[in-house]
Amino acid sequence: MGSILVVTEIQNGEIREASYELASIAQGIASGSGREVKSLVAGSGVGSLAEAFASKGGGTVLVADDDALANYNVDGFNAAIRAAVDEADADLVLISNTPSGWDVAPRVAAGLDAGFVGDCFRVEVEDGSFSFHRRIFNGKLDAKINAAPGKIVATIQPGAVAPFEGSTEGSTQPLSVDFPDARVQFKEIKTSESTGVDLSKADIIVSGGRGVGAPEKFPETIQPLADALGGAMGASRPVVDAGWLPHPYQVGSSGQVVQPKLYIAAGISGAIQHLVGMKASNFIIAINKDPDAPIFEVADVGVVADLFDIVPALTNAVSEAKG
Amino acid sequence: MKIMVCLKQVPHQDARLDVDASGTWIQEANIKFEINSYDTYALEEALRVKDDTESEVVVVSIGPDRTTQALRTALGMGADRAVHINDDEANGSDALGIAKILAAVAKEENPDLIFMGLMSDDGNFTAVPPMLAELTGVPHTTAAVGLSRANGTLTVEREIEGGATEVVELSTPCLVAVQTGLNEVRYASLKGIMAAKKKPLDVKSVSDLGLSGSVGAASAKVSIEKIAPPEKGDSAELIEGSTDEIVGTLITKIKELGLL
Ligand SMILES: Cc1cc2nc3c(=O)[nH]c(=O)nc-3n(C[C@H](O)[C@H](O)[C@H](O)COP(=O)(O)OP(=O)(O)OC[C@H]3O[C@@H](n4cnc5c(N)ncnc54)[C@H](O)[C@@H]3O)c2cc1C
Ligand SMILES: Nc1ncnc2c1ncn2[C@@H]1O[C@H](COP(=O)(O)O)[C@@H](O)[C@H]1O
Repeated sequence: MGSILVVTEIQNGEIREASYELASIAQGIASGSGREVKSLVAGSGVGSLAEAFASKGGGTVLVADDDALANYNVDGFNAAIRAAVDEADADLVLISNTPSGWDVAPRVAAGLDAGFVGDCFRVEVEDGSFSFHRRIFNGKLDAKINAAPGKIVATIQPGAVAPFEGSTEGSTQPLSVDFPDARVQFKEIKTSESTGVDLSKADIIVSGGRGVGAPEKFPETIQPLADALGGAMGASRPVVDAGWLPHPYQVGSSGQVVQPKLYIAAGISGAIQHLVGMKASNFIIAINKDPDAPIFEVADVGVVADLFDIVPALTNAVSEAKG
Repeated sequence: MKIMVCLKQVPHQDARLDVDASGTWIQEANIKFEINSYDTYALEEALRVKDDTESEVVVVSIGPDRTTQALRTALGMGADRAVHINDDEANGSDALGIAKILAAVAKEENPDLIFMGLMSDDGNFTAVPPMLAELTGVPHTTAAVGLSRANGTLTVEREIEGGATEVVELSTPCLVAVQTGLNEVRYASLKGIMAAKKKPLDVKSVSDLGLSGSVGAASAKVSIEKIAPPEKGDSAELIEGSTDEIVGTLITKIKELGLL
């Protein structure tokens, strides 16, 4: 009998929420698959974090405590995870799909000659084998993935499930790891300098996506609605990548996370990386000509229409209403 | 310096996505294809290295006949040579299978640098680059949004959360998977497109690479059982009607929110 290994991640000196989400998935499928839950806590000076995780769904927690793990580096974490997989006799390895997770997880899978499934939002067990649900085509379709017998490494979308809440009996155990030389050297973290566009303070945000089609359409079409409403303008990533607007306008996992009273998304499909940046908004209006666009899943009100019909007309109506 | 760029041809971002009869992929007939968006940035970065250091840029793609077009486009942009792995035996490969094929090509080519995309726009696996790095034994990094090079050392800014980046250093030979927006991608000039017609494009099979029987559907460790439009949860109230009616409803909603 193998185990399910939860690979935790430490952020700002804490085990991050996403790791408790992994624990929740692991606990949910452990008994149905006849497997035990084990975890890895890897970092420097992480003994007490490991103790805490053991009592909150982590099961048997393997602790890799070493200076080589003080900052994320792929070689060190790959070595620690591989050692944990061996020690735990794991046949399902769960890792969060975070910047360090997506960097190391496929490398671990290839080293183990194991199957890999990325960015899953649900894991199921049927007759002892695992299946995984994930989005493809940037959120436009769902795929159910089956795994052949053997080891599987899966990354899980942060926020996809509720974190584990209960308390469990667990234990900790040191894990010895042979560290190779780190060939990818961590140097520093750079935080983005604020440049005056602080969307987090806006009550109303009107964002445009790739569907806006051209850079001049932002000042012509999107900004006027934002101005009429007394709000700010935002954008999806492709708009920023194309240089149509600078980075501070970007909403999403690699931009700003916003929570305005009203968020209007025009010509934005609703990929998960955009949604995590705006889905907590109090009220969401989505305008998209594709009735199947995933943005409608998080919107309160959806308009299936051409944004160039709706946005200018809405701008006029808002201006009139304000008198 | 020799640079290998792995690129995938994927359905155009505005293509209609209809599930095919098998229920495991989309209908590919009658839709347009393009180079995976992430990979255009990978190719551009390779061409920039070539612009300032004498280099050879080899583009590699696994895919059916239509893939030739993506490779010709890459040659038109300035790549020197293309390798096309076109073999039904590769069909149904999982990410590890794709990485094994690319690793066999990398073994033949022995590049100093491999540039790839962070993710494919169709499968969204985010898997092949770290796998290829592991199989070829070179260091790698992902989500590059900034890159500079001096004496065989690459300094890469990799994107992490909340708009922050992490600076890492690695030495050639190595592999970098790039994020969109890394650079400004050039277009193929008319002259480039003409010149591309004469550039070498080698077509190889899985058995040419000594991989017969070890990639493709039969050896895949994970496979798609079915694809479908996402289950509708508690989705938006869809408002319909003329533009005036829609705008009227939106104004009512905004007033209800106390924002007008
Ligand atoms: C690690 C990582 C981080 C990322 N971070 C972010 C991030 O922070 N923010 C972000 O936004 N993305 C991010 N992305 C990218 C994300 O995956 C998507 O590619 C992106 O969000 C898509 O942007 P979009 O919706 O504008 O474009 P598309 O997906 O191309 O959608 C365009 C939409 O416009 C609609 N449309 C077209 N014309 C019209 C019209 N005239 N009227 C109405 N509708 C129209 C279309 O139906 C379509 O739905 C990230 C990706 C990765 C891998
Ligand atoms: N069929 C393929 N041919 C060549 N390169 C590929 C192929 N599939 C994936 N890649 C490379 O791997 C990267 C990540 O893709 P993926 O892991 O499939 O999301 C892509 O951006 C390409 O650089």
